[in-house]
This record gives sequence, C-alpha cells and structure tokens, in this order.
Amino acid sequence: MATTQNRLALEGLRVLDLSQVAAGPYATMFLGFMGAEVIKLESRSRMDINRGRAKPGPGDPRVYPNGEQGERPYNRTAHHVHRNINKLSVTLDLAADRGKELFLDLVRVCDVLVENYRGSVMDRLGLGYDAVSQANPQLIYLKISSQGATGPEANYGSLGSTLEQTAGLASITGYEGGPPLMTNEVYPDPVVGILSFGALMAALRRRRQTGLGCLVDLSQREVTSMLLGESVLDFSVTGRAAGTMGNKHRDMAPHGVYRCTGDDMWVAVSVGSEDEWLGLCRAIEQPDLALDPRFQDRKGRHGNQEALDEIISSWTRERDHYQAMHLLQADGVPAGAVLKGSETINDPHLEARGFWDVVDNPEAGTYKQSTLPWMLSKSPRKTTVPSAGLGEHNFQVFNGLLGLSSDEIDALVEEGITGDVPNPDA
Amino acid sequence: MMASNGGVLGDIKVLDLSQGVSGPFCAKFLAGLGAEVIKVEPTGIGDSSRQSEPFLGGPNDVESSALFAYLNTSKMSVTLDLDNPDQALPVRQLAQETDILVESYAPGYLESLGLGYDALSETNPGLIYVSVTPFGQTGPYRDYKGADIVAQAIGALMYTIGLPDREPLKVGGESVLYTIGISAFSAAMLALHVRDAEGFGQHVDVSAMEVMTVAQIHSSINDQFGHTPVRRPTNLVRAKDGWVSPGLESGVQQGTWPKVCELMGVPEFADDPRFTTQEGRRTNQQDLLKVIGDWAATKPKEEIYHTLQALRTITGYVATVEDLLVAKQLVDRQFFQTLADPVHGEVIHPGAPFRMADEEWQLLPPPRLGDHNQEILSGRLGYSSEEIAKVSKNGEA
Repeated sequence: MATTQNRLALEGLRVLDLSQVAAGPYATMFLGFMGAEVIKLESRSRMDINRGRAKPGPGDPRVYPNGEQGERPYNRTAHHVHRNINKLSVTLDLAADRGKELFLDLVRVCDVLVENYRGSVMDRLGLGYDAVSQANPQLIYLKISSQGATGPEANYGSLGSTLEQTAGLASITGYEGGPPLMTNEVYPDPVVGILSFGALMAALRRRRQTGLGCLVDLSQREVTSMLLGESVLDFSVTGRAAGTMGNKHRDMAPHGVYRCTGDDMWVAVSVGSEDEWLGLCRAIEQPDLALDPRFQDRKGRHGNQEALDEIISSWTRERDHYQAMHLLQADGVPAGAVLKGSETINDPHLEARGFWDVVDNPEAGTYKQSTLPWMLSKSPRKTTVPSAGLGEHNFQVFNGLLGLSSDEIDALVEEGITGDVPNPDA
Repeated sequence: MMASNGGVLGDIKVLDLSQGVSGPFCAKFLAGLGAEVIKVEPTGIGDSSRQSEPFLGGPNDVESSALFAYLNTSKMSVTLDLDNPDQALPVRQLAQETDILVESYAPGYLESLGLGYDALSETNPGLIYVSVTPFGQTGPYRDYKGADIVAQAIGALMYTIGLPDREPLKVGGESVLYTIGISAFSAAMLALHVRDAEGFGQHVDVSAMEVMTVAQIHSSINDQFGHTPVRRPTNLVRAKDGWVSPGLESGVQQGTWPKVCELMGVPEFADDPRFTTQEGRRTNQQDLLKVIGDWAATKPKEEIYHTLQALRTITGYVATVEDLLVAKQLVDRQFFQTLADPVHGEVIHPGAPFRMADEEWQLLPPPRLGDHNQEILSGRLGYSSEEIAKVSKNGEA
C-alpha cells in the first residue's frame, strides 16, 4: 500500500501534554506521528516518571543504554526515549502563580490538553476543566484517569498492573487452575493510549460540528473491563464467572504454545476450522491423525487436547520457532513464533512493511523505534523525532508561541519556574 | 429503520463486512458514536462469532453467543453471500452509499470479488476502507493466518507474560482481538478526520502483529538498551477471599510505609532497612509480600484495596466478573447497561469506553441474523420480495 499523498493528517493541531507514565504519553506519541505539534509539559521538580531520577543511585532499577546513566540520565531512560518521541519538551512550575498564568496562556493557543494525573490534581491546582475551558472554550480536554473523573474512587491511584486487577483482566489471565496473573507489560496502558487517539478524533469532529471543545472523560478501568465484555454478558445471564484457562481457548483446540529448539523458544498454534485441522495434520506429516476418531470434530479435539498437545510438541521440538511457524502457515494453520523484543526488531515482515524507524537519539544513541498500530494509504506517518531533553524547547515555546522576550525567559529560569536542569531531588 | 441518536457520527454510514472479533468491535464503537452500521453476514450461519462460546442459550443457536451479542450492538444485520455474484451486487450497491467499510478477509479476497478498495473508491472516492487482518495488506506474511494467541506471540507481547519456570502465557479471553479492533476504530476516526478536512477517503491497513508490537511496551526498547525482559514472579498476595497487590513498590510517598506497618499491627517493620525505601521494597519484594501476606490473609480483598488506597498506595485487588458488576465505582458511574434481549431477557453490557460532554453512547441490542434484509434490500435497494426470499433469514437460497 503505497502512500500517495504527503500532507500530514494532524498538521496544525497543537497539543499540550501533561501526561505521564504510559497511557497518555503513548496517545500523544501517536498524535505526533500523524503530524500534531505536541508540547510535553513537565515540572523541574516532578518530571515524567519515565525520565527516572535527576541523580539516580547506582542501584536504580530504570533501564539506561547499556546500563550507563550518563551525564543527563533523565534524558536517557529507555521509557522516556521510547514513549516521548515526537514531542517538544517544556518545563513549568504549575504550583507558582506565574506558572499557572503561562499554563493558561498555552491553553489559549492549543487545541487539545491531555493529562493523566490522579482525579483531582488539576482541580487542586485551580487548572481543572472549568478553568481551562474558560480560557479556551474550543479546547478539548482529554482526561485519562484510573477510575474516571467522577465516583467514589476518582482519586485512587493505579498502575497498568493494578488496572488489570481491578478491571477483571487478571481474573481471566493465568495458567489453568492457577492464580490470576498480570501481564508484566502494563497492558491496559497501550490499549488506553490507542483508544485515546480515537476518542480525541471523535471530540475534534464534535468541535467541527458544534464549534465547542469538551471534556473527554476516559476511565482506564472501564476501558480495560471492556476487554472481557463477553464474559460480563455471560455472567449476567448464566451466572458463570470466567476464570483462568492458560493458553487454552473456549472453542478452539489445539490452542497453545509448543516448545521448539533453542533456549525458551516456542511457537503458538491455534486451530479453529476443519481446514486448519487438516492443514495441521499435513504440516506435521501425520495424515492418519485426521482419521483418528478422538479428533473427528472440534468438540473431540477440544476434549482430547492434551493428547494432541503431546503430538504437536514432539514435532515442534525438532524445529526452531520461525521454521515451525512457516511450515504450519504453508499448510494454512494459524501459527506464530513467540518472539522476543530483540527478535521483533529484526523480523523480515515488519522490516518489509517499514514498521520500525531507525532513530539517532543525541542523548541515548541509535535504536529502532516501534511506530503505529495502523497504516493509512494517503496519510503518511512522520518519521520519528527523537525524545527531547528536559526543557529543550522552552525558548521555542515561550518566545515563539507566547511572545516572551529572552529577558523574561531568563527571569523565569532565575525564579526556578522553568529551566532545562531538573531540581536535584527530582 | 434503526433510530439514530444524532451523535458525533450521526451522519455516517458504516458497512461492516468483517467477521470474528476485531473488525466487529471496531464497527461497534462506530455505532456507539451514532453511526448507522449495516452488518453483512453469510446466509444461514452468520458471522463466525455466532458459533463461539460462551453461549447464553443452546450452543446450536445462532442467536445464542455472548461474544456475538457483545460485539454487534447497535447494528443491522443483512445476510448475503459475497462469493455468489448475484449477492455481491447488493454489497457493491451498499458500498456506494458507505462512508466507512470495515472488513477482515484475507488480503486480496474482496478484490477478487470486485469489492476491493480500488474498485469501490473509483465511484465513491470518499470511502474509508478499513482492513483488519493478522499481518496487514503487504509484506511476506500477508497471506498468513492469525488468531489471538498468534498475534500475542508474534508481536512479542506473550514472551514476558507468565511465570519464569513455565511457558509463555497469553492474556486471557479475546482481549487482544479487542485491542486490535480498538486500533481499527482509532484509525478509522483518523481517516474520517482527514476526510472531513480534505475530502478524500483512503485505505486503512491494520495489522494485528503491528498492534501487538506497539502494545508490547517494554521489550523492544529495553532489549536494545541491554536489558532483556523476562517472565517474572507475581506480586499478588492472597486475601481472605481472593487476591490483592499491596502496591508499595512505586508511586508511594516517604511516610506511607510506617503507616502501613501500623495498620498491619507490625510496627517493628517500620524501620526495617529492607523495606524503608521503594527500591528496598522492590528488591526485597518476596520478603515484603510475606509480611503483608500474613495480614492480608485475614481480610477481604476489597477492604484491603480501600484501606491501603486511603493511605495513597497504589493497591489493586483482583476483581472477578462477578465483582465488576457490583464494584461501587463502576456502579456509581453507571458503566454497565442492561439491554432487553428478546430471547435471553436482561443482558448486562459494558457501556461507553469514554464520555464526551453530553453525547450519548448508542447501545442497542444486537440484531438477529438477517433481521434487516427486508428493510435494507427492499426498502433501500429496491429488490423484490422474490429476490429477497433467496437470501432470507434462514439462508435457504
């Protein structure tokens, strides 16, 4: 699918981004890819926690390039480098009166505000929806929160991993008969980041129709619970509560991961239709299996899947995970190597589709950046702009956008309201 | 005719040719925002999700799947077999009046029927054509087949999930297929934004593999920075009636730990150097979990959740589906909605994924197979009753 027109889809859209950690930064990263101008706003005393500490100790758990913290560690953490691409970096102390004024000045020239603090943080700063919508009635305020903007738990804190719990996802994730487990991948965060993008497009369309901005109230817990919607319906009618079932599927079998040659290498296989089943028998060179009465239909295969798993494993154990995948797919069987992160960056399919950007980050070196969960034929993706150093764009934004003079900006730095060096305790 | 609630997409017509989970979930969201969605299903059997567990009634009933019911709220159903040339014609006609088409067939299949993007956009240049497939429209794996577990595997999400001494574990249920549908929704909204501004439609290519490679938020970057993510032990501890995570490893203020010790009745741990800092609690997590576990085992999980959250920790409790429906926060926000289903009675659905000013989220019961054949084929396209009888509800063409 060749992209044939070159205008960036969100050119001219200006986003003020107060978001931290993962869900919000992911959403604004996508906006940047599509051409939006994203101004990431942090404070020198409370940087995005993705940046880690101003002066991390030797045992700091964050990931730095080759473990080296460097001169400005807060510009080098893996999470910051990866999630805060495509953004300008500005610092402002929102606790100071002058900081609040400048914040509202920025609000006046932006289309979108994104934040994901605990529920009432912005209100306590006097910068909640009422204040910002008064400053700019066209502003779209995307409020991503753990629990939503209202309700008794509106101020509760969460992480991706606790959302998996409170939204029910952990209750259906785990080995068969075993305890619930979380993903270790803060799974709700990227999901919410991806959805936030669509929610924002909806709000922009509404603004086009009504001339007005609005508050978009997005509860991460609610969104995450939608990932087990069918189980909610089922419980409400039959009283069955879904639980853990490992890699098994409600309908399909065989369904699981199978060990391959090499250390901790696996291939995932999922067989639904009769064609896929017959394809599996061909691929593993056991045509007689297709005649085995135990495996005659989907129900039989589901009931006898342990026996099938053994048969499949004895075949996969002789092959590497990519080889097993290609052989199975050649016979029409849904199969995928269980890739590690280091393998995805070299995968030929992603390579052929131009999924990765090679980024030369001045503070962290060269690496491959994951990009977007979609490709549009006429709206290209902007090439990754490396993550910015803290406060790197203070002058560009305060002078260029707000018209402050160099002297005024110097005075702000003097007062500690802005700057490009974190507070030492940050 | 289904009532439109106006809404942000009140002027938008969607043709949902997709089957299974991801494509239909995308179209469900478009319907939620007020779009009119016509779902085209194969005659007789309908969308493949109609054959999927869990069933609200008998398993051999195409109106019984909870999965289908969840995925297809607020849509109309028309039965047509695309590979029958007579029946592909009405699909082509409908596509002329369509703003957003959603499909999930193998790349090239619809093209072979004259229903590809190039053919349809020639006479409907504003068409947004959303293809949701396992590997996308191009590249060496484009013809490969996919599934929820395959996407989790190939996108490197799965490798780090599960316990260190066990096999990689999938995220439960159909959750990854839903995520792929959400990506398609956001991409469709993006393409609509472009069309509103510029006037042209385009082809949207959503690859499950890429969605997962994006959703896998740590592995690709950490690996490149020299830190290989691996499967880790769990930090859940057993409560009296389930599981909690005490949430003391990050995001907790200095004075919190002594308060937690006080609460647990173990003040002697307040200045135990293993636990006094976040880093310490992370490093000595297993010891910490043991201390907390002794206390937690006697308390209900939700009590622990509320008590520790009040101390500004980031505590979680594992809600089951049953717990979700009575969770105070979700009840207070009226997140769940009860729909009256003609067959199954009152069915509870998750509601709006986000709230926007006073916009309502359209949530109407899913259609029965072919419910709207008459209305669409006769009312809108002018087919005679004999012609429609051929594609009647039960599909005895």
